[in-house]
Amino acid sequence: MNWWSRFLRRKKLEHDLSHELAFHVAERIGELQSKGLSEDEARRRVRQEFGGLEQVKEECRTARGTLWLESLVQDLRYAGRTLRKSRGFSVATILTLALGIGAATTIFSVVEAVLLRALPYPDPQNLVSVREQAPNGHRMSLADPNFEDFLRENNTFETLAEYTGNQLLSVVGGNEPARVNVVAASRTFFNCIGVEPLLGRPFASGSDQTNSPPAAVVSHAYWQQHLGRTTDLSKFRLRIEGMVLPVAGVMPAAFDFPSGVAVWVPRDMYPRQSSRTGHNFRCIGRIRRGVTVAQARANLSAIAHRIRNRFGNNVDLNDASVVPLADALVGDVRTALLTLAGAVGLLLLIACANVAGLLVARISARRKELAVRAALGSGRRRLVQQFLVESLALSLVGGAFGVFLALWMVRVLPAILPANLPRQQNIAVNAPVLLFALIATIAVAGALGLFGAWRAGEGDVQDALTAGSRSYSGSVSGQRLRGLVVAGEIAMTLAILVGAGLLGRSFLHLIGINPGFNRQNLITMEFSPPRPGGQSFGMDRGSIARQAHLMENIMARLRAIPGVTSIGLAGALPVAAGDNLADGTFLLLNGQKSPANFEEWERLSHIPSQTGHALYAVAGEAYFRTVGIPLIRGRMFGDGDDWNAPHVAVISQSLAQQRWPKTDPIGQLIHFGNMDGNLKPLRIIGVAGDVRASGLNAPPSPIIYVDYRQRGLQANSSPTVLIRSAAPTGQIVPAARSILRELAPEAPAKFSTFEDEMDGWLADRRFLLLLVGFFAAAALALAAVGLYGVVAFAVARRTQEIGICMALGAQRRDILRLIISEGARLVLFGVALGVMASLLITRALSSLLFGISATDPITFVSVSALLCLVSLVASYVPARRAMRLHPSNALRYE
Amino acid sequence: MQVPPPKSDLPQGTLDLLILKIVAVQPIHGYAIAQRLQQISGDIVQVPGGSLYPALHRLENRNFVKSDWKETESGRDAKFYHLTKKGRAHLEAQTENWRRLAGAVGLILGLAEEGAR
Repeated sequence: MNWWSRFLRRKKLEHDLSHELAFHVAERIGELQSKGLSEDEARRRVRQEFGGLEQVKEECRTARGTLWLESLVQDLRYAGRTLRKSRGFSVATILTLALGIGAATTIFSVVEAVLLRALPYPDPQNLVSVREQAPNGHRMSLADPNFEDFLRENNTFETLAEYTGNQLLSVVGGNEPARVNVVAASRTFFNCIGVEPLLGRPFASGSDQTNSPPAAVVSHAYWQQHLGRTTDLSKFRLRIEGMVLPVAGVMPAAFDFPSGVAVWVPRDMYPRQSSRTGHNFRCIGRIRRGVTVAQARANLSAIAHRIRNRFGNNVDLNDASVVPLADALVGDVRTALLTLAGAVGLLLLIACANVAGLLVARISARRKELAVRAALGSGRRRLVQQFLVESLALSLVGGAFGVFLALWMVRVLPAILPANLPRQQNIAVNAPVLLFALIATIAVAGALGLFGAWRAGEGDVQDALTAGSRSYSGSVSGQRLRGLVVAGEIAMTLAILVGAGLLGRSFLHLIGINPGFNRQNLITMEFSPPRPGGQSFGMDRGSIARQAHLMENIMARLRAIPGVTSIGLAGALPVAAGDNLADGTFLLLNGQKSPANFEEWERLSHIPSQTGHALYAVAGEAYFRTVGIPLIRGRMFGDGDDWNAPHVAVISQSLAQQRWPKTDPIGQLIHFGNMDGNLKPLRIIGVAGDVRASGLNAPPSPIIYVDYRQRGLQANSSPTVLIRSAAPTGQIVPAARSILRELAPEAPAKFSTFEDEMDGWLADRRFLLLLVGFFAAAALALAAVGLYGVVAFAVARRTQEIGICMALGAQRRDILRLIISEGARLVLFGVALGVMASLLITRALSSLLFGISATDPITFVSVSALLCLVSLVASYVPARRAMRLHPSNALRYE
Repeated sequence: MQVPPPKSDLPQGTLDLLILKIVAVQPIHGYAIAQRLQQISGDIVQVPGGSLYPALHRLENRNFVKSDWKETESGRDAKFYHLTKKGRAHLEAQTENWRRLAGAVGLILGLAEEGAR
């Protein structure tokens, strides 16, 4: 019989035991009686011989080896009883722990899904992201010829695949035209990642490639929404901006790379680019088995060096960067998530400290009971066990509530998660997360139980027993300890508050920055006007004129919608992801002859004194008015600036200051034809106000604006009509949609508001601030409650003393001062500790801050002041009670 | 009143050995074990119930003895213990061990007496 079945059958064993011993006693009595003793005499003799019957039984039970379990059950029952009896303590503890464990579990579920979980592809450790690296360490996407060299010359990769970022394009041919993300990727893309399509086949590659025509692969979501989940893909032909492609395959629902993509098309649908500085392609690779990331990097590095040696300053790479794909996907989010994890960890610690404080108070109150138990023979081990069991019961209930809290939080989380958080669709309360919650719970239970047992074991049994009920002096050391715990709590709270304060001030700085445009009441309508030339780079005069005519028609109709005040057109929004506008090198002609072809252009572009770097924006004159960008000098595009007239440009103020610091930029001739394939030079006619096109936290971007009627909206722009209106968005959008359907039936549009588009810049910061702020508020509340507890307890303990003081003539003010100073000492100590700790900790936040340093004195001072104020209130409440005591009551207080 | 003969303290672990030996003879209940030990040792070994029963239960937990309830000659139900295979092996090993130890102790004590003379 093993100990478990012995435990389960303990009732029967117990019965047997009594029976067996009773038999022994009876036999012995019988024997003694037969020797002539009277029954009473015999009974007494047996008792003498045998020792205490109960004692023997107890020893037999010990021999059974299940006593610990039995006492555990006993302790559990006892714990249940005592906890039910002190309901206030139990509820406070359980709620505090539920908050701590729930918040920690929620954040862990995010960290687990985003940072810890392996990518859902075969052998994910072999997947890497490859980038070019400039001499200054800056990492860039790949240029076509450099990628080809990497692909051809490496000996460490199974495959390398290049792909573009998401391009929002019109895809026609499904059930209805849609504006979705399209990615052009190498034929080896899917093989490289190692995921098979759910349906059909991936891109044909290798020798198959020549035999089969190019085809698109679509995402599960696109297949569901636009292809009606059909298994017969052959009937669909997708028309994507001039390309016509059959559908080869459908990827599984879980496959979402790059995130948000709907259609993958083969890279070779677009012409090969010959520039070694056009960094237009991202790259993933699968390294060979047994090759390390470092070896792969060294290999590509060497190739990059060779390219550099061959082409010198005509290339801007001299190294390659190879990082595990999982790390590359997470990117900058890591710091933010680790900040959250740190904040929530502190919150959990504060919750534990609060419970520990409660525990000390409770032990002081239970000292007598404990002393009685010790006197009756409860071993120290047994007392420790009792406390462990009690805190385990509390923590388990708290942990269970915490898991429920986490389940709920994980459900509401998507509403506040920033869109740019990678892999967030995987966030769930799964087995690892539950395991984390369990471990956290048990760790908390163990720490609290041991702490409680240690406190309970302190002090002398005799003292506790003899001390009268009026004496609380036995708990002086308990009170001091509790004070220390609260001071620690205050220090940790300060750290979280400082973090929240720094993030909050950064956020305020950011939204206080003038983006350079007026973002209110602006509706955006993004769509691609038909381009008869298809994917060819430059646009000829005829297609530009036709396009301009269509756009003007559309805008005229839109302008007529009631409530619309103005309409503008641009080649891309200067917001959203921050890299919407293409950038490139332009030439300053300085009186020289304009290049006659692009070879000549390329030659000129290597002279640094005659080049500049700027964003390229196609726009109409009304765009500036609609968005609210002021003209600072010169003139705007005018009616006379048509194709035949000299082509003109408006530049942003920062570019004017940067490139023409001493001379007047107006009238200068520049060449930016590399952006649109048009060899006509541009004459600068005006300087416009700055906009922060790369994000609020970046300096204003240098921009060159050109007129859409002269240069056209070519394939790599995402034309957007901006509608400023006094009427609500819900009224304008349907009207605009029907106008567009009428005039350009094959051009689906994506509507949004400028505010929403800009939000992408702030969403991740807002999320971080929101959560850290929430944790800070929770921590502040917990610390206030903890401090309140200590001071209230001190008041209770010193009631008689207060009575005596008052009887001796102390004023209420003196009493108030006496009590408040009790709390104030702790607070000041805690704040000092917290400030020192925060000065060290907040350094880790530096990369998340904007406009302030990690040791921003205003934040530190105001947060400390806030904490002191809250603490003052928390200790004022019990102090006021002390102040109002009537001396005679206080003296009689027990 | 009868003066009980002087009791001798048993060395650690010996009681288990003695109990096993008694049980090895035939299935027997706790009271009879105590009686038998006392008889055979000529009243030198007197095991109080407080030691006997925990020892018996310990042996049972270690699967050296097993028990079942049977009727005694006097018609009462008693718990009878019998030796298991494992118990017999243990008994033999321990007996051998004890003999060797006892011999060794005897030798040493004899030598010491000679030296003292």
